[in-house]
Amino acid sequence: MPEKPADLVQGTLDMLILKTLALEPLHGYGIGLRIQQISRGVFQVNPGSLFPAFRRLERQGLIKAEWRASENNRRAKYYALTDPGRKKLKRETREWETQTAAIARILAASTEEV
Amino acid sequence: MRLLATLGGGFRALFRKQEAERDLWDELRSYLEVSVAEKMQSGMSEEQARRAARLELGSAEAIKEEIRAAGWENTLETCWQDARYALRTLRKSPGFTLVAVLTLALGIGANTSLFSIVNTVLLQPLPFKDPSRLMMLFEGLPQIGSPKFPFSTPDFTVFQRGQKSFAAVGAIQDKEFDLSGQGVPDRITGARVSASIFPMLGIAPALGRFFRPEEDLPGRNVAVLSYGLWQRRYGARQNMVGETIELDREPYTVIGVMPQHFVFPLPGPPANAFPAALWVPMAFTPAELQGWGQRYDLSIFARLRPGVTLQQARSEGQALGAAIAAQYPQDILKDFSGARLTLPVFPWHQEVVGPVRPLLLVLMAAVGLVLLIACANVATLLVSRAAARRREIAVRRALGATRARLLRQLLTESLLLALASGGLGLLLAFWGKDMLLALAPADLPLPQNIGIGPGVLLFALAISCLTAILFGLAPAWHTAGTGVQQSLQEGIRTTGRTRHRLQGTFVAVEFGLALVLLIGAGLLIRSFGKLLGTDLGFEPDHVLTMSIPLPKAAYSSASHIRNLYKQLVQRVSNLPGVRNAGMADDLPLLAVVFHTLEIEGRQQVGKPPAVAETWILGNYFQTMRIPLRRGRLFTPQDNQNSQPVVVISQRMARQYWPGQDPVGKRLRQEDNQPWMTVVGVVGDVNDGPVGQERRPHIYIPFLQLSDTLTADNVVGEARSMNLAVRAAGDPAALASAVVTQVHSLDPDLAVADIRTMPEVINSSLAGPRFNTSLLSLFAGFALFLAAIGIYGVLAYAVSQQRHEIGIRMALGARPRHVLRFVLAWGTRLACLGAGFGMVAAIALTRLMKSLLYGVSATDPITFAGVTLLLLLVALLASYIPARRATKVDPMIALRCE
Repeated sequence: MPEKPADLVQGTLDMLILKTLALEPLHGYGIGLRIQQISRGVFQVNPGSLFPAFRRLERQGLIKAEWRASENNRRAKYYALTDPGRKKLKRETREWETQTAAIARILAASTEEV
Repeated sequence: MRLLATLGGGFRALFRKQEAERDLWDELRSYLEVSVAEKMQSGMSEEQARRAARLELGSAEAIKEEIRAAGWENTLETCWQDARYALRTLRKSPGFTLVAVLTLALGIGANTSLFSIVNTVLLQPLPFKDPSRLMMLFEGLPQIGSPKFPFSTPDFTVFQRGQKSFAAVGAIQDKEFDLSGQGVPDRITGARVSASIFPMLGIAPALGRFFRPEEDLPGRNVAVLSYGLWQRRYGARQNMVGETIELDREPYTVIGVMPQHFVFPLPGPPANAFPAALWVPMAFTPAELQGWGQRYDLSIFARLRPGVTLQQARSEGQALGAAIAAQYPQDILKDFSGARLTLPVFPWHQEVVGPVRPLLLVLMAAVGLVLLIACANVATLLVSRAAARRREIAVRRALGATRARLLRQLLTESLLLALASGGLGLLLAFWGKDMLLALAPADLPLPQNIGIGPGVLLFALAISCLTAILFGLAPAWHTAGTGVQQSLQEGIRTTGRTRHRLQGTFVAVEFGLALVLLIGAGLLIRSFGKLLGTDLGFEPDHVLTMSIPLPKAAYSSASHIRNLYKQLVQRVSNLPGVRNAGMADDLPLLAVVFHTLEIEGRQQVGKPPAVAETWILGNYFQTMRIPLRRGRLFTPQDNQNSQPVVVISQRMARQYWPGQDPVGKRLRQEDNQPWMTVVGVVGDVNDGPVGQERRPHIYIPFLQLSDTLTADNVVGEARSMNLAVRAAGDPAALASAVVTQVHSLDPDLAVADIRTMPEVINSSLAGPRFNTSLLSLFAGFALFLAAIGIYGVLAYAVSQQRHEIGIRMALGARPRHVLRFVLAWGTRLACLGAGFGMVAAIALTRLMKSLLYGVSATDPITFAGVTLLLLLVALLASYIPARRATKVDPMIALRCE
């Protein structure tokens, strides 16, 4: 039995959504799909957590929404990054990198160092 | 910014809910369509794609719920939902709601009204400028058992010159005046105050000005009126300043009127504590300034200099005490018997609230207990209700409500109940506060400042919320925790054990708390009974008393004074309906000043004798019916021309001539006074308030007082004699005839304090009566609640267990077995409570020691009696449900399922 797709670390979903939107505005389905694709299927985003995340980010003013026609000419709600959203993403990315680097160092430490 | 955005989103969601819902719905649909299209492109049939997409999306409703639950507005909304739901449930059971709200409202109302008093009296600073730095000073001879007494004038002047700790110091002294000049003569209590006092308090007059320092000298007759006197006597005339009024028939110029709420001095301290109707300058006379060791009757107020601590002021007081003693004439200093003179300093606030503090705290604790009992009572009701709602709760849990969610909803219900009770309680408090003030003893300071302000409102709100948690939490926890399986399976036949245990606990707690209150009340009732039963040493019935003060200007010589009083007693004695009449400078129960004296042939060692001293005229002993024990009473022949005589009390005889006959012994007041021979011994009389220890007492014939004592006395006791009249019938009916006699001798004399002796006793008992009646009221209420509680729980349990009882009876249990079973249950709960209550009471009643008289704080009779009463009430309250249990018809009980 293959391993279940990993659950997202708490709080990282917001960052991933912001990152996805940093490239181009996307609709909900597209965002979920993009995260899945880029992570090569490691993260599978459940709509049940995706939509509340949109509302949360929208309310914090980090993304904004707009109804538009989609590629195949259907109406869809597109989300785009706002300026505060862009700043937030930058900040979060930096923080994430610092933390993961630190964790990596700890995990890589040889027995003598510990 | 973030916060604003969040708030904005929240408000949008709250107010444009439909729009937001539609938008979300659209988005979910479009999501689904995009998803389907995508899947069809990868080769699925439309049907397959749709199915897969739906599966992926999951429940749209669940997503919507989740989104809604994310924002803060959601919490608000669920609260609102809970509140509406709670309101509906409460309305569905009006009986329960009414009983719960009334019970709690009484508890909250009682707490709030008492708190309004505690708040003003104990918690608020005194209504003066920077009141925490205002101090009162006393003199003290702690080594001979007089740790604090008022100042004498020369001592005050030495202190005033020598002190460095205070920015301002001043003296005050109560003084009664005949107020005449405009309108009928009136006897009022005013005060002599130093010019520094008013600026020290930082209160500006409403009209005019204060005394200036240069007006604080004899002969500069100026006066400041209180607002009340200005309103009452002078109709609040704006041009009052500059007018002349007559005080003791001397003209005084009114220079100011104080603001409405200004009260000074405040009640509480041991002397000079009567709120004054007007103030005149202290203006020490030369005699007062030289009166070393004579009159200790000044109250000293002082404001601490900035940066000086109370501790520093106290140590300066020690040093100044020694400095004062060093200036005393040697012959007076020997009265101190070698004790060191100190000047103790106390914060004024402490002096004011000291006497009422234990009383208020005990009462506050009592109402707190009542509220706790009310909470326990409502909690048992809630637990009973929970049984009826068992299925509702189980269904909700089965549908996914978490324990926390249910807890919140149930607590909302409790909070709603508590807030409704709080509102009603507040209404009760407005009325209760006035009732308390009407009953309150006179030494309760600042009654006019007591009101229901923001602090009290906040208190009512806070205790309402606290109450909700107290009575709501345990039942809610119990109810919300009901297991789904267990509840749905549990038939009507069996009842949860935990529920009965919980209710049993509440009832036991109620009984315990009620026992504490009952014991407290019982102790007070017993001591009040002892106070009432005290043999006062005289017979108060049929005695009318009044004070007939003579103004100095009109009665300047000793013979004047003697003549008037002698004639008055003569005339009143001859009135029809009068059995006896006499005069005294101090009436029983009202004496405050004590004197030292010297006994012939005794070396002054240790404490000098401190005795109560009364000057009497006419048939005073016969009027009061103070019995003669030895020797003789005074006769009209004991006058200025005969040998000075004195009558002493039994206690005096026992204390200073133990085992000897005191008749014929001699004593004197001071070195330069003549020796007085003891001619008789009379029974002891309560000279101070009822309940206070009796002091040795000497009686001196008024007619033998020296001219200087009579006419030039500093305080003027000889000019303010009290008339006592023993009537054949109703003493009050004699009053007008007696006053007519006074006015036939001098139409301008003011007669004050016309009261019957029983009235005097009554007012002397006002304090004990106040706390006894209140605590009894609270205890009665507590007992009632506890009885209701035990009745409620047993009645409920019996109705729940009818089936079981029916089976037992079908199997041969006799009604008396059932009766005994239920009664035993109730009694067990009460005993449990009583046990814990007894322990709590032993710990708590110690705190009310200062309120007790003649009863120990752990009086076994009270403890046993009250516990018996409590168990009896529990038995009675259990009897009704027990009777009902025996009436269960086994057939009906078994068939009714």
